[in-house]
Amino acid sequence: MKRRKMLLGLMSALLVFAMVGCSSSKSEDTGSTNTGTTGTAATGKDLKGDITVITQKTDIVDTVFKDYAQKFKQEYPNINVKFQALSDYEGQIKVRMNSSDYGDVLLLPTSIPLADTPQFFEPLGNYDDMKKQYNGLEERTVDGKVYGIPTTINFNGLVYNKKVFADAGVTEVPKTPDQFLAALQKIKDKGAAVPLYTNYAAGWPLTQWEADLTTVAGNVDYVNITQANTDDNFVKGSPHYELYKLMYDVAQKGLIEKDPTTTDWETSKADLANGKIGTMVLGSWAIGQIQGLSKTPEDIGFMPFPTNAEKVIMPLADDYTIGISSKSSNKEAARAWIDWFINKSTYPTTEGGGMSPAVGAELPATLKQFEGTDVEFKFQTPAKAGQEGLVDKIDKDSEIGLWQPDFKKRIIEAAIGNKKESYDDIMKDLNDKWKASRASVASE
Amino acid sequence: MVFKNMSYKNQRKLIIIAFSLIPVVLLFTFAYLPVINMFKYSFTNWNGYSDHYKWVGFKNYKTIFTDPKYFTVFKVSLYYFVATFVQMGLALYFATILSFKVRAKNFFKGVLFFPSLLNGVAIGFIFLFFFKPDGTLDTILNFLGLSSLSQGWLLNPNIINVSLAGASIWRYMGFNFIIFLGAISSVGKDVYEASDIDGANKWHQFRHIIIPSIKRIVQLNLILGISGAISAFDIPYIMTGGSNGSNTFVIQTVDVAFKFSKLGLASAMAVVLLFIVVIVTILQNLLSKKED
Amino acid sequence: MYKLKYTAASIFKYLSLIIAAFVVLIPIVVVLFASLKTGQEYANSSPLQPPTDWFNFANYKKAFIDGKMLLGFANTIFIVIVSIVGATLIGSMIAFVLSRFKFRGSKLLMGAFLLATLIPSVTTQVATFKIIDFLHLVDTRFAPILLYLGTDIIAVYIFLQFLDSISESLDESAMLDGASYFTIFFRIILPLLAPAIVTVIIVKGVNIYNDFYTPFLYMPSQELQVVSTALFKFKGPYGSQWEVISAAIIISIIPITIAFVSLQKYIYNGFSQGSVK
Repeated sequence: MKRRKMLLGLMSALLVFAMVGCSSSKSEDTGSTNTGTTGTAATGKDLKGDITVITQKTDIVDTVFKDYAQKFKQEYPNINVKFQALSDYEGQIKVRMNSSDYGDVLLLPTSIPLADTPQFFEPLGNYDDMKKQYNGLEERTVDGKVYGIPTTINFNGLVYNKKVFADAGVTEVPKTPDQFLAALQKIKDKGAAVPLYTNYAAGWPLTQWEADLTTVAGNVDYVNITQANTDDNFVKGSPHYELYKLMYDVAQKGLIEKDPTTTDWETSKADLANGKIGTMVLGSWAIGQIQGLSKTPEDIGFMPFPTNAEKVIMPLADDYTIGISSKSSNKEAARAWIDWFINKSTYPTTEGGGMSPAVGAELPATLKQFEGTDVEFKFQTPAKAGQEGLVDKIDKDSEIGLWQPDFKKRIIEAAIGNKKESYDDIMKDLNDKWKASRASVASE
Repeated sequence: MVFKNMSYKNQRKLIIIAFSLIPVVLLFTFAYLPVINMFKYSFTNWNGYSDHYKWVGFKNYKTIFTDPKYFTVFKVSLYYFVATFVQMGLALYFATILSFKVRAKNFFKGVLFFPSLLNGVAIGFIFLFFFKPDGTLDTILNFLGLSSLSQGWLLNPNIINVSLAGASIWRYMGFNFIIFLGAISSVGKDVYEASDIDGANKWHQFRHIIIPSIKRIVQLNLILGISGAISAFDIPYIMTGGSNGSNTFVIQTVDVAFKFSKLGLASAMAVVLLFIVVIVTILQNLLSKKED
Repeated sequence: MYKLKYTAASIFKYLSLIIAAFVVLIPIVVVLFASLKTGQEYANSSPLQPPTDWFNFANYKKAFIDGKMLLGFANTIFIVIVSIVGATLIGSMIAFVLSRFKFRGSKLLMGAFLLATLIPSVTTQVATFKIIDFLHLVDTRFAPILLYLGTDIIAVYIFLQFLDSISESLDESAMLDGASYFTIFFRIILPLLAPAIVTVIIVKGVNIYNDFYTPFLYMPSQELQVVSTALFKFKGPYGSQWEVISAAIIISIIPITIAFVSLQKYIYNGFSQGSVK
């Protein structure tokens, strides 16, 4: 049950600017599709109180969120909503959780271990009841109680410019790593665009690759079940090895940007939109933004990560989950906001850019293209009882950072010849760390 | 008025206490209390937010001293160490020449100080464009006919730390400059006039009037500069996040604390860093005393 | 011969100044250019390319209004003024004590202030936050003010330096007139420290003005935003509008530049020496 959204868990004393990136990733769900009742709170007028809502969306807190607050007020005239936006959400909220003031409604920091959730958050209901209403609750369910509802559900793969691919003579969407490399090579030979843009400098876009582990494994059990129980997480033939081999290969064959160390995320979006970049590994949340920058939005497509697996699974993953502070003094009002935000604000599909967590909600347009194809959309299987959060624990103890950019950067540095180590050296090092930490976590 | 009638001895006592109390309380509460807590955390496995943690004795320290990865990053500090001297030298040079007669003096003073007015976001932004391929630096080199020199300023692992140290000089030189300039200006004009009459040249004035009169401030800046080099953080953090061989000890500490939620281990790293900085400072003080 | 040497030195002097000015200004000009470009233009042009429309102030308007810069300025001014007045008083008081009196523990005290500057504050932030929380100051303007007063010791050193150049004979002659130490400090020393105070205003003022981390962490409420945090409005998790940030940067530079330019002659004027004569 790990996944890091942006986890640039940074800080910065002096001046620093938080290069905030958000990614998203996975979570899991058994995928119950029973149609549930929509949330029926007590009538709006009965609830009153002032609530503070903390968000990571610094860019729209004064615009879109203000509109939300107004509409919310029409239904709940006696609740006053105030917002706080944190630019380095993960880093700052964790420091603030040392106090009793971390708002009434907030996003659950991904780096807080599952077991610690009840210490900071209020249970929202029983899992068995709530699953009829929402998908993706498993990520923050402890002992049958739900603590967070996903603000949106993302799917991961590659955002690509169809025209760049077509102009280079790639007529079919590449399915396997080999086809993918061949397609990128064609784009390189054509010379009009950077085949794949890594966004190495920003760092966090590299963590998006990890979200595609399920696609490479071709199995929804891999991430939380198989991975937690293997010592061979990075050996040749394992999904991690195959996943990052592709990263190494594209960098090594020069199919990436000329100078990865000076990339700029903003520019990269515009370049992808305008056909100067072929593709980037990203989540669904980015599609809308890139289409918005393009004069021909229909050229911007989405494809599953290349895989040799038999089944093509596009993993669905919770974005940040939203919950209520256990220290809140207006929990009912806070709950009203959450239900309204998920079901009525349109945030999950518009600003969130993914799928609504509400059971039975309509598929977003970008997903409809895959209806009737062999691509499957699935949540990952949750960890086995007693193993919740285990992968995360091993990851932290070993300082591997599955959801951190660090070892991905190392792979790219090695691939472009800046470091002397080979891909197998790196994988061996990671596997050794994994094995040692798995043993030490087990012995605790 | 009661105060006025006290003996100077009693006044002295009173004023020492009255004038020290608030600064000392503030200093203790906001500088030393956190450090004391940091010491405490360094013996725990606290993750930085949970209610509960365990005491682990010296385990964190053992980890730091047995795993070479924690110490190898100090070689990056050498670049900033050298940069500190370049920065001080430049600041002293410009402060000196701008203390004498120069055309457009105020313009140059203002311009040299200007980078210190900028905010961290601006710096990161500016230098990303400065160093990127065909960016500001390459464009200028091209213009000067030196295009053969252009290269991946942050891409080449042998150059990256020089580029970053350069950005660091750009950013902090003006600050040292203004402090030096202020200190030099506290030397009265009559002193120079007297030495002019004695036939001293500019170098003598620099060596025998300026240097001694601003010694304390130069020393402080040097100490701050060197401890800053050892704990270099913001420029590489803003620019590269410590990738491609530009990682420093403080970046690593912040990563351990917040990426990997090991505040205990990170506290131990901070304690080690503090000790190193203090030892270097004491050594430097001893050395400069010896010189006198 | 002397003349020639003099000219060569002079050429070198001006050349070095001009190069330095160039090196400093070029990167800033890039920001100015960016602030005048449209989003589209920004994405498609080289940084050194001047904007097509020199009067495209759309980004400035957006930064100023959407960023609620006025609110930011009001909060910043309050924090800067209180912090500077505090730092000046506290710094000059402790510097006066340390420079004029030798007493048991004075060396230790001096050392304590020096040591504090060496603490890497990034690493102690969790502990610091707990203290501010304990004092119930989170989300008030006094959290950053206290932190600026308690942890940034540079003012003390600037005052110590200046006090060294103020002759103790001044104090002594005042004492002969029967002045108390209090009077000496407030009537004689403090006015003589004026140039140092201006330096402190600039140095601390700039630090506080540009510090974004402290206000961000300790004052999360929208009403308490300061200028530096306003910049981040345009830097969201899913992207940032650099051309608007550039405009915000320029907006944020303007007042501090004005303050600097109008104060600069006081910084450079060392008149402490003159008063002894």
